[in-house]
Amino acid sequence: MGLLSLGTPLTWEEARPYADLVRERGIEQLLNIWKKAKSKERDILLWGDEIEYLVVSYDEDSKDARLSLRQAEILKDLAHDEELRKAGGCVPSLQEINQKPGQRVPTFHAEYGRFMLEATPGAPYGGMLRDLLTVEPDMKKRRVIAKQHMTNNETPITMTSFPRLGVPGPFTQPYYPPHGPIARSIFVPDEIINPHIRFPTLTANIRSRRGSKVCINLPVFYDEKTPNPFKDPTVQYDLSDYPEDGDVRNGAAKDGHVYMDAMGFGMGSCCLQITFQAKNISEARTLYDQLCPLGPIMLALSAASPIFKGYLTDIDCRWNIISGAVDDRTEEERGLKPLNENKYVIPKSRYDSVSTYISQDPGFRPEYNDVDIHQNLPLKQQLLDGGMDEPLAKHFAHLFIRDPLVIFSESIKNYLVENNDNFENIQSTNWQHMRFKPPPSAEDAIGWRVEFRSMEVQLTDFENAAFSIFIVLLTRTILSYGLNFYIPISKVSENMETAHRRDAVLSEKFYFRKQVFPPRYANRSGKGTSVSPGGSMSNTPKPVELGPVEDEYCLMTINEIMNGQPGPDGFPGLISMIESYLNSVNVDVETRCELARYLDLIRKRSNGTWETAATWIRNFVRSHPEYEKDSRVSVAVNYDLIKAAETLGNGEGKGTSLWKGLFEKR
Amino acid sequence: MSPPSSIVFRTGNIITTGRTSLEKSNQELLNSLRQNFEDAASRVTSEQPSWIEAEGDTVYVPRIEEPDGLSEERTEYDITVKLFYLPGVSVSRRKDHTREALQNVLRELRVPSIDLLIISFPNISFDAEDHSPDTEPTQEEVDEWAETYQALEALQLEGQIKRIGLSEFGVARLVKLLPRTSIKPSVDQINVRDCCVVPKPLIQFAREQKIELLTHNDCTNILPSSALQGLLQENHAVFGGLGNINPQWVVKYTAVIQDRGVVENKGYFAMAEAEADRL
Repeated sequence: MGLLSLGTPLTWEEARPYADLVRERGIEQLLNIWKKAKSKERDILLWGDEIEYLVVSYDEDSKDARLSLRQAEILKDLAHDEELRKAGGCVPSLQEINQKPGQRVPTFHAEYGRFMLEATPGAPYGGMLRDLLTVEPDMKKRRVIAKQHMTNNETPITMTSFPRLGVPGPFTQPYYPPHGPIARSIFVPDEIINPHIRFPTLTANIRSRRGSKVCINLPVFYDEKTPNPFKDPTVQYDLSDYPEDGDVRNGAAKDGHVYMDAMGFGMGSCCLQITFQAKNISEARTLYDQLCPLGPIMLALSAASPIFKGYLTDIDCRWNIISGAVDDRTEEERGLKPLNENKYVIPKSRYDSVSTYISQDPGFRPEYNDVDIHQNLPLKQQLLDGGMDEPLAKHFAHLFIRDPLVIFSESIKNYLVENNDNFENIQSTNWQHMRFKPPPSAEDAIGWRVEFRSMEVQLTDFENAAFSIFIVLLTRTILSYGLNFYIPISKVSENMETAHRRDAVLSEKFYFRKQVFPPRYANRSGKGTSVSPGGSMSNTPKPVELGPVEDEYCLMTINEIMNGQPGPDGFPGLISMIESYLNSVNVDVETRCELARYLDLIRKRSNGTWETAATWIRNFVRSHPEYEKDSRVSVAVNYDLIKAAETLGNGEGKGTSLWKGLFEKR
Repeated sequence: MSPPSSIVFRTGNIITTGRTSLEKSNQELLNSLRQNFEDAASRVTSEQPSWIEAEGDTVYVPRIEEPDGLSEERTEYDITVKLFYLPGVSVSRRKDHTREALQNVLRELRVPSIDLLIISFPNISFDAEDHSPDTEPTQEEVDEWAETYQALEALQLEGQIKRIGLSEFGVARLVKLLPRTSIKPSVDQINVRDCCVVPKPLIQFAREQKIELLTHNDCTNILPSSALQGLLQENHAVFGGLGNINPQWVVKYTAVIQDRGVVENKGYFAMAEAEADRL
């Protein structure tokens, strides 16, 4: 969630005059880091995952599962855990340096939702294949430690969205009525927001900047008895406490959709994110670009959130909900009104798919950046004048069209070019599906990093480990074979939309590149014919003539992308490429067998042998005896679903049949 | 007819040459040789009209250009070489073949030493699914292995290789060979297909002996002479004059940047003997 600096936050109206200053300083800080760190070389592979948990609280008497709002107490308790502290874990402020691998104790962080926890490994994983075997045990340890610091009736679950967040009546423990002054939501109370001042300020400032509440409409999943047309019955039209209460009277809630109006619906979702350190800036740029087209594919494959606000919806993923939940664009910026106060019409939310590639690899063609993006041109010029190349300057100049949302008055007074607070203010409130991360400071040992952000958190640590490890192995395969996954960036955004559709993993097709291996040379002689030495063959090899970009990609199913197409010219499939990589390096028997289990999960999720969490959750609800076939997820159904998620999260549902359909038990 | 001369076939670095990397090692070897021949043939010029070249008694196909070597310090790499002794070749020649194969790799990668040399004997295979006890090796087999193994021990003492590895050795074979070695093997590489059925006794024994069990996906007959023959016939104008051609050894090498798990260089050399009056 970026920096949690303490201090006095400015309201949107107070912050606004400083926006340019923060941006200018941010660019100055970026240039300072870039100039010193651009020649950083030979950093080793280090990587880490981030897993987010919902903390649920059971009321066994009424058979209800609600969100616990005790995040602060749990974190405090974790921070006071002597054993953890000695081992160098707990919460970041207490973390000791110089941890040895193998002794790492996880680190817990606060998140936007006051019912969430985030946990990362205490120290990053290394680049050895054997290190991959520590991922799943580390994740399991985190879950156990988290649980140890909760009350008996609380538990951490790794479910992407809480099914009953925002329903009428209690869904938090303790109960608070909705419609507080910060979010002004008709569904969720302000008390679900992490009370750290940054988060309420972020919430209020997004709403103020936008000029209305955020607005998310998800198509409802029409089941047998769902009223058709569906009109969200939980919307209250007659409130008049805040000006934003008029939003729904002006058509904010669409027919056929589940309507949501607060940041918490999005930022209260749980994700699985992976960050890699690259060997240098150039490799980081390569990985950023190459993983970019994988974002939507992995979103569809990890889909885990079919229920919002108590309804089964017709989508499987959280991404667009978060996108809408932090969309601070004004009506002018959204193109609804002619530009007057604002500078640009901005097609996307701050939380959205990547809009520009940044690598300078030979495989890159300018045609791939086929989306015209707004850039902060004066700041871009500053970067160019500082020596930064065009593609990277463009990337940052694009991020820097956004306003800073939270400004602390102290940070305005205490400005140091050597810090990165102003830069991070903009950088970490641009939530694209990849993030390119400069070292935190020019002197830092930490190198250039890339974050892969699209995946949904899985119900079990086995699956979370499998998805994380798949991505890590894929990066090694990309770098070893020099793979090229470029497709026009507009197609990546289209894929992102496609990925949300119900069961996209099996029923949709995605744009994907056909030839991913680096080009060989032209003028090859035909196979089987003889080549006469000294004959009139041409001299120097020429690169293959580039055909139209449109011929480079086609629509593929996720099964084809992962498991390959038939025939010698068919797409070979990412899994066989990874296996080929594994066959090229020394892997011990135990590691190879464990990795085979993880790859098998990806393989079988892709070919439909096993279900995504989204499908599993949807089926769980629809086959529940108390489900009334009307799309509603009642207290009773929710209780059983959360219990099932807990059981799966602890030992993959050992002793039950819950795991059936999701994966194969060892 | 002139005496047989040796021909060294080379693939060059195949790590970024595309789809061949997805094939089994025998196909990978053949197809990457074919690609490398085609590339070399397409680069001939009037000053450099031939893409093969003799160096002493050895003909290089294609001829050796200045190798790129590795891009970073030697210490960054884990270099593994796997040497396949081929069937029908006299055991007495393995010592020379081992040195020769290694020299080609050292020259290609421009390094003074490698980290691990794994040897693969012809006609032995390991089937992890086969629960029947390893067939007891004959005394003759064990003698052959021991003799060959000494060549590796010598290379290790000279500092050209850091560790020695075997492949396809089950417990029965290890038990016979180990007493005959003075430097213990560090690695035993076995073919584990999708399944992960490795016999428990082997895991136990390897642990006791501090031998690391590694996996591979190579096939047992990496370069049948018919396959090489077929490849050369595709280039009839160059190789048409060859009589019988007998593959002697194949060596596969990989250079992996250790801390990043990135394969930077991978390739093969294969040596064959042939009647070479037209080459």
